[in-house]
Amino acid sequence: MSLRPGGLAVIVVTLLVVLISLPVQGLAAENTIGVIMTGDIPYYQDLHNAFMARLGQSGPLSKTEVILQKPYPDDISLSNAARKLIAMDVDAIVAYGAPAAIAVVKERTKIPLVYAAVYEPLVPEVKKRNSTGVYVRLSISSLLRYLRSLNQINTLGVVYSSHEEDSVYQFSELTKLATQYGMKIDGINLKRYQDAEAKLAGRKMDAVLLTGSSVAHMAMGQIIEYAREKKIPYASFFLCTDGHAIVSLAASPNSQGEKIAEKVQKILDGVPPDKIRSEAASNIELIFNMKEATALGMKLSMELVTEATRLIK
Amino acid sequence: MKMRYGITLLFAVTVLMVWPVKAHCENEILIGLIPEENIFNQMDRYRPLAAYLSKKIETPVRFTILSRYGDVMDRFVSRKMDGAFFGVFTGVLAMEKIDAVPVARAVNLDGSSTVQSYIFVRNNSGIHDVEGMKGKRITFVDRATVTGYLYALSYLKEFGVSDPESYFMEVSFTGSHGSTIYAVLDGRADVGTVKSKIYQLLVAKDSTIKEELMIIARSQEFPDTTLFLRKDIPETLLSRIKAALFNMEKDPEGITVLKKLEAQKFIEAKKKDFASFYDVARKAGITVKTYKYK
Repeated sequence: MSLRPGGLAVIVVTLLVVLISLPVQGLAAENTIGVIMTGDIPYYQDLHNAFMARLGQSGPLSKTEVILQKPYPDDISLSNAARKLIAMDVDAIVAYGAPAAIAVVKERTKIPLVYAAVYEPLVPEVKKRNSTGVYVRLSISSLLRYLRSLNQINTLGVVYSSHEEDSVYQFSELTKLATQYGMKIDGINLKRYQDAEAKLAGRKMDAVLLTGSSVAHMAMGQIIEYAREKKIPYASFFLCTDGHAIVSLAASPNSQGEKIAEKVQKILDGVPPDKIRSEAASNIELIFNMKEATALGMKLSMELVTEATRLIK
Repeated sequence: MKMRYGITLLFAVTVLMVWPVKAHCENEILIGLIPEENIFNQMDRYRPLAAYLSKKIETPVRFTILSRYGDVMDRFVSRKMDGAFFGVFTGVLAMEKIDAVPVARAVNLDGSSTVQSYIFVRNNSGIHDVEGMKGKRITFVDRATVTGYLYALSYLKEFGVSDPESYFMEVSFTGSHGSTIYAVLDGRADVGTVKSKIYQLLVAKDSTIKEELMIIARSQEFPDTTLFLRKDIPETLLSRIKAALFNMEKDPEGITVLKKLEAQKFIEAKKKDFASFYDVARKAGITVKTYKYK
């Protein structure tokens, strides 16, 4: 049986193609996870880093492709990000923050959803058969209580975004609480972080409270500048590593990232999301920025200092 | 000669009588305070009492915070303290271990001189009973308190939880009743247990606290914070201290001090007041002599 010269060439080319494609097949990701952040802020970045680190520890990272989306925190951008991941048919979608999680749920996809940093009152909106995650139970009244201990507050400026469901909810809760404390609430609806300076100008407030809005936190620099100029305290529901508020009450992003990585791992192992317990974030931090308070001429009482889980000096 | 002998004997007897006083009370009387609420607030409330007593008994009286519950007895002895305002458990410890004597207890503004332990949660926590506490975070005050720990231990045991460490996701100790309340309010813990008096104090200061918290269980009554003194305190000094305390409400200056303490008056305290402790200790499965409270 003789081999024709053309036939040999075909065999060689076939072999080469097989050899070239073999290692690619070997390295190809077995799983794809889509991640959506509600805005590009340090808090969610920290959460994501912890998620990735834990995913790496549990082994599947080398076999898992993670597609990270950082849409602007508005309905259209979040919805587009969700649709993109659904079209890619990822194995699971991870959403940081209630707006991102709600955007995924609205798409009625069957792809498992794992959420983190979802404000507890909004959990019914994201708790579906194919979802699980970590929610955050934070006390608005506590943050307000700590803020009130720093300054006599007649008018409280509340920065929120009508595009972000959690911040709208917190704004409404604060409005109810304000009546009990005999305070006026000055709501600052920030849809674009670039507008912060203009929106703050000319307002008369005794303190500023940043709800859990990503847009508000993207404008943190401008808000801090305003508060420093007016020498008023400011508080936040996020831990801002790029600019600590005088008082922050927030769930640790690291422990949430670790918890959702474990949930994602279970989903990749074939456990249905409704069999994976959704849970409250357990590591709540109360941080006082003594350095900033002192710079603004405020004195943190020893009562406050003793309650803090962390002090910035 | 007889006269000289008599003088010498009188001098020797006087020295012997005064000796125990000199050992501890020569320059001042040192009284410890168990941390109940924020220690700075607590010190603020008690400071006028120290000044008042100093004036009335003509010996400087100084209050000091006993920084940790568990070290109380050691510190009481090592610092040569003359007395302390103890809670129920530390009071029983003081009676059993160092023979301290209960002397006086304040009557609160509402006329009570007893306290309860409350087990409480945030009212939106979804926790209504011990079953609902499973896998949550519980925070206590300190192992050496009845209202901030032992009652909760006996309550949990009654509902079949003998090992809180495995039943709860997290068990922590805040070190003071006030901090326990704030930890639950902030969401840093799910379940807390505290002394009713401190709970009521904080609610009186901020009514929104009452709306946010829900009390799941209330204990029987225990004697409120009680002043104990060393058993060897000179009788004359003891009488002067008692007279000063028990007549405060009749003295305008004393009334001001009582107001600061948020109390009506002081009444006499007795050993039998602490009987309710032993019931809780039995249910919690502890005995004072063997219990590791540190």
